[in-house]
Amino acid sequence: MTRGRLVRITVPVVVAALVAALPFVVTDRFLLKIFTYAGLNAIVVIGLSFLFGYGGQVSLGHAAFCGLGAYTCANLTATLHLPWLVALAVAGAIAAVGGLLLALPSLRLKGHYLAMATLGFGELMNLAFVEAVPLTHGVDGFTRIPPPSIGSLVLKSPAQLYWLVWAVAGVALLLAANMVSLRPGRAMRAMHGSELGAMACGVDLVGVKVRAFVVSATMAGLSGALYASAIGFVSPKLFSVTISVGFLAMAVIGGSNSLVGPVLAAIALTLVQYLDALVPGISREAAQIVQAWEPDVYGLLIVVVVLFAPGGIGALWRRKRAGEAS
Amino acid sequence: MTWLSTGSRASHGSRSSDIVRLGELTVVVSEFLQFTVAGLKSGAIYSLVALGFTIVFAATGAINFAQGEFFMLGGMIGVWLVNLGLPLPFAVVLAVVLTACIGAAFEFLAVRRIGDGDPLRIIMVTIGGSVLFRQAALHVFGPDEVPLAPFTRGSSIMVLGAAIERQTLWIWAITLVAVAALFVLYRKTAFGKAMRATALRREAARLVGIDTSLMVTVSFALAAALGALAGLVVAPLTQTAFDVGAGIGVKGFAAAILGGLGNPVAAVGGGLVLGFLESMTAGYINPLYKDAVALVVLLGVLFVKPEGLFGGTGREKV
Repeated sequence: MTRGRLVRITVPVVVAALVAALPFVVTDRFLLKIFTYAGLNAIVVIGLSFLFGYGGQVSLGHAAFCGLGAYTCANLTATLHLPWLVALAVAGAIAAVGGLLLALPSLRLKGHYLAMATLGFGELMNLAFVEAVPLTHGVDGFTRIPPPSIGSLVLKSPAQLYWLVWAVAGVALLLAANMVSLRPGRAMRAMHGSELGAMACGVDLVGVKVRAFVVSATMAGLSGALYASAIGFVSPKLFSVTISVGFLAMAVIGGSNSLVGPVLAAIALTLVQYLDALVPGISREAAQIVQAWEPDVYGLLIVVVVLFAPGGIGALWRRKRAGEAS
Repeated sequence: MTWLSTGSRASHGSRSSDIVRLGELTVVVSEFLQFTVAGLKSGAIYSLVALGFTIVFAATGAINFAQGEFFMLGGMIGVWLVNLGLPLPFAVVLAVVLTACIGAAFEFLAVRRIGDGDPLRIIMVTIGGSVLFRQAALHVFGPDEVPLAPFTRGSSIMVLGAAIERQTLWIWAITLVAVAALFVLYRKTAFGKAMRATALRREAARLVGIDTSLMVTVSFALAAALGALAGLVVAPLTQTAFDVGAGIGVKGFAAAILGGLGNPVAAVGGGLVLGFLESMTAGYINPLYKDAVALVVLLGVLFVKPEGLFGGTGREKV
């Protein structure tokens, strides 16, 4: 037991140290940016896995929450010149309100209806991002968003932005891990199994669902806000339903009832998009082919994982651990 | 919106004002008719797609997120066959048949493999499938918008000042024939009764000797055929491309849920109502809002009355 406890504490610490040490090894600006993208996607997918993998609530609209957070942050910092931390907090809050609004129909809907409702929400928000030109600058995109700053400290270098994003990802992971292992997490898992069954056992379905949606939307909103200020540019294309399907693919491939699996899936699927930069010597044509076939990989992985390995990466992980224990 | 401003300026009180008013009235009427024609045209298309959703939902209890891709595949395969040199009528029929086969194959190879029939997993598989269909069309047919020739050539027909394109008449006629054929299939044939029995209670249907798996496969084939038909018949007016499936899928679903999922008559009604609403919004309020109508309807119905306009309530058991 003591050995298991030791492993449980040391492994995350070592992994966190390795993640933090990456900028000392990788100095290429573009490579660091790619790993920053991976962190931003990981934050969204942690929230989505909390909602989907544990709560069994599908969302095809998570990119819209990212968009809400991103445009809120962009307007508050670039147009109104508010402090970055304030903008970040407001961005999270607005995404949370969006999550709350979307949670309302989910109290009555389940499964397929909910999936369509979130898809409709995502499409509608994307239309709004394109058309609300004064707030979003339309399809041209919102440019010159100020970088993150805390007091007088402005985070501008790729390494600083990398650390910021992965620090937030780490906090999100810790929070989500805590929530799923405590009472709310058990209630969510009961709900995933059978809603009526959970209700009969005294689980407050309304509260559990609303909380899951709000937490999940907030994480997506924060990721969007971080994206806006770290990259400095956002456009509606980044928040389309296609992107939402990508997030869902990461969550599905990562596996239900797991947080580590989805984070690994988020990193892997993000890195695949930038294969040309990561693998030295790969020809431009080969990289373009990989990029053209990237959605195919998403689609195929979703189908294959759901059909043949419903637990995803998370289940493989657990099976291996169970094997070691016995 | 020009007629709105002239309308408000009409009361000048001169002698000729009566004639002006009569002239304006005919403009108003013909404009309303024109919007109605446009609405019922897209409404018929939404009806066909909505029927596809409804048929699969009745058979499996799940939503086929790839339904819009059948619409896309129908149009793209049709254009491809015409470019290969096939006469248009053969190309249309063959495209419908091929898409139906793709739908059946999709059910047989993927959806059926979900042993427990968990709706969540069916949704995920159809989402993954829709991505694959779209990408396959992109790789095979290319990224460009492609046109299909009108079914019959000739100028538009004028009815009370509203122009009706000949292709619109084809859309209505084909929708009518498809709905009538479905009605006959479901109500009058033993096969259709077997399909309805499967939709009603799958276990009981199997106990009386119905091959329920076959019925589910046929449902997917039918849904795919209807989607393909819609994609083909509208392609001469709108052109088509590999990425049109997602948009039409959402609209078709909005139509299906507006009527009440699982009820074919309601699906057709929902489609026509949705097309009409869209056209009126685009005509009288702002064309920018046209695409938002279906989404607002979808969310509104799901928020307020998920069982649809014509649906009853159901109870779920553990």
